[in-house]
Amino acid sequence: MIWRQALVIGLSVFAAVIVELTLLSRLGLPGATPDIVIVTVVAIALAMGPVQGATAGFAAGVLVDLAPPGDTLLGVNAIVYLAIGFVTGFVIDPRDRTVPVVIGIVGLSAAAATLATAALDTLLGSSRVSWEQMPGMVLTSALYAVVMAPLIVPAIAWVVRRATPEVSVISG
Amino acid sequence: MLSRRTRIVLAVLVVTSLTFVILDLRGGQGPLTGVRSVAANIIGGVERVAATVFSPITGAGSWWSTMRDQAAQIDTLTAENERLRGEAQTVANDLARVKALDGLLGVASVGQYRIVPAEVIAVGPAQDFSWTVTIDAGSSDGIEPDMTVMNGQGLVGRVLKTTSNTSTVVLLVDTSSAVGGRVAGTEEIGIVSGTGRQDSLSFQLLDPQADLRVGDALVTFGSKGGRPFAPGLPIGEVVEVGGTPGQLTRVATVRPYVDVSTLSIVAVVTRPPRVDPRDSLLPRAGVIDPSPSPVPLGAAASATPSDAATPQPSDEPSPSPSVPAIEKEQAATLQPSSPGDSSGSDG
Repeated sequence: MIWRQALVIGLSVFAAVIVELTLLSRLGLPGATPDIVIVTVVAIALAMGPVQGATAGFAAGVLVDLAPPGDTLLGVNAIVYLAIGFVTGFVIDPRDRTVPVVIGIVGLSAAAATLATAALDTLLGSSRVSWEQMPGMVLTSALYAVVMAPLIVPAIAWVVRRATPEVSVISG
Repeated sequence: MLSRRTRIVLAVLVVTSLTFVILDLRGGQGPLTGVRSVAANIIGGVERVAATVFSPITGAGSWWSTMRDQAAQIDTLTAENERLRGEAQTVANDLARVKALDGLLGVASVGQYRIVPAEVIAVGPAQDFSWTVTIDAGSSDGIEPDMTVMNGQGLVGRVLKTTSNTSTVVLLVDTSSAVGGRVAGTEEIGIVSGTGRQDSLSFQLLDPQADLRVGDALVTFGSKGGRPFAPGLPIGEVVEVGGTPGQLTRVATVRPYVDVSTLSIVAVVTRPPRVDPRDSLLPRAGVIDPSPSPVPLGAAASATPSDAATPQPSDEPSPSPSVPAIEKEQAATLQPSSPGDSSGSDG
């Protein structure tokens, strides 16, 4: 049972990281790269709960930091993603999660992820963050996440329902 | 609120992340570098496969961004093109001015005129029907009224009035302008007056029975003391002869050598030559560049002008046309200089 959860989380997070690095960031879209990883993490958190959300966030963060061309400090993304996964897991009662609410959560998570990663990077001494581009980056990452949410969240929810029905918290 | 299991899991995850961060912060070789390289190899391999799988989509994406880049590049190139075109135009202008100055110095040095060069800075409005221009040399440069104005092609006009830094020049095509002219070769004398049209002057021969042919060149006869007209300056060439020999009046149409619509650099003759240059300044191969039509004049200055009764139109054998064809005692004072040679110029 735990293995199936681990499998679901691991596979979806891995797939999300690969897709983001090899497809989405190479499209050259204006602003930030569509962060499919954070959307997947939030989707898992919404579908499986805060603990699984935190685990997914941790795994996703580590993978993102390790995968080439990752150049950030290992663990920064891990902390941010795991925090977001945890919080979104239980912030709203599953029965009150309507579609706009879910989309809002996804958008806010993407924005928070961008900001928190940048802030943590700056705190730890990296000088690569350009703060005057930050508003544009935050906005575009939230927008792209909102666009991807209607695709990713139901898909993950469906997978969770089929693979690990015992932990599924939402029914739709 | 949170179950014990949840708290344990969370704590483990957070501590692990922080450990990673601290380990990585230290930098250098640590346990993490090994992990990093292994993970990089594995994930890098997967990324390569995924990249080929996704290549059609990313190709479309890069096509879009290339288009954007190319549009920007086109804009940059267009702007630079405009700038370079403007520069080329400026260079062409500069070349024209250099050529004009060259021609001017050539004529002035051959004819031994003392000149003050100047530039045309203003032209009288066309609706006044008076052909006057303003040049940027004035009384403080030694210009006085009734001085001759010339350029590399020949006579331009005379100075009407001066201020300390500018002068007004009335052009030879103005209706009020009248210049004494002499036909090259035959030495016939007449009056050249402006008609108000920029491409034709009217030449009235003193001797109505004199022989005048189309293509004859006119030079200034020269006034007393060289004011208002210095001698020897090319005026123009005859394009049409009216009337017949024996008629009371003989009027010819002369096309001026100077193109008054493109005046830029001119020179004011402050001291005429001590010796009349006679016909030596006329446009032949090499002396002066006449404006538009270069009609080769074979009938110039080879014969000694002192015996004007025998105007033999003989071809000038030598290609150096500035050899003065004048009386021997005056030959010593003129230098047989080649065009453009400013060694003798008093200007």
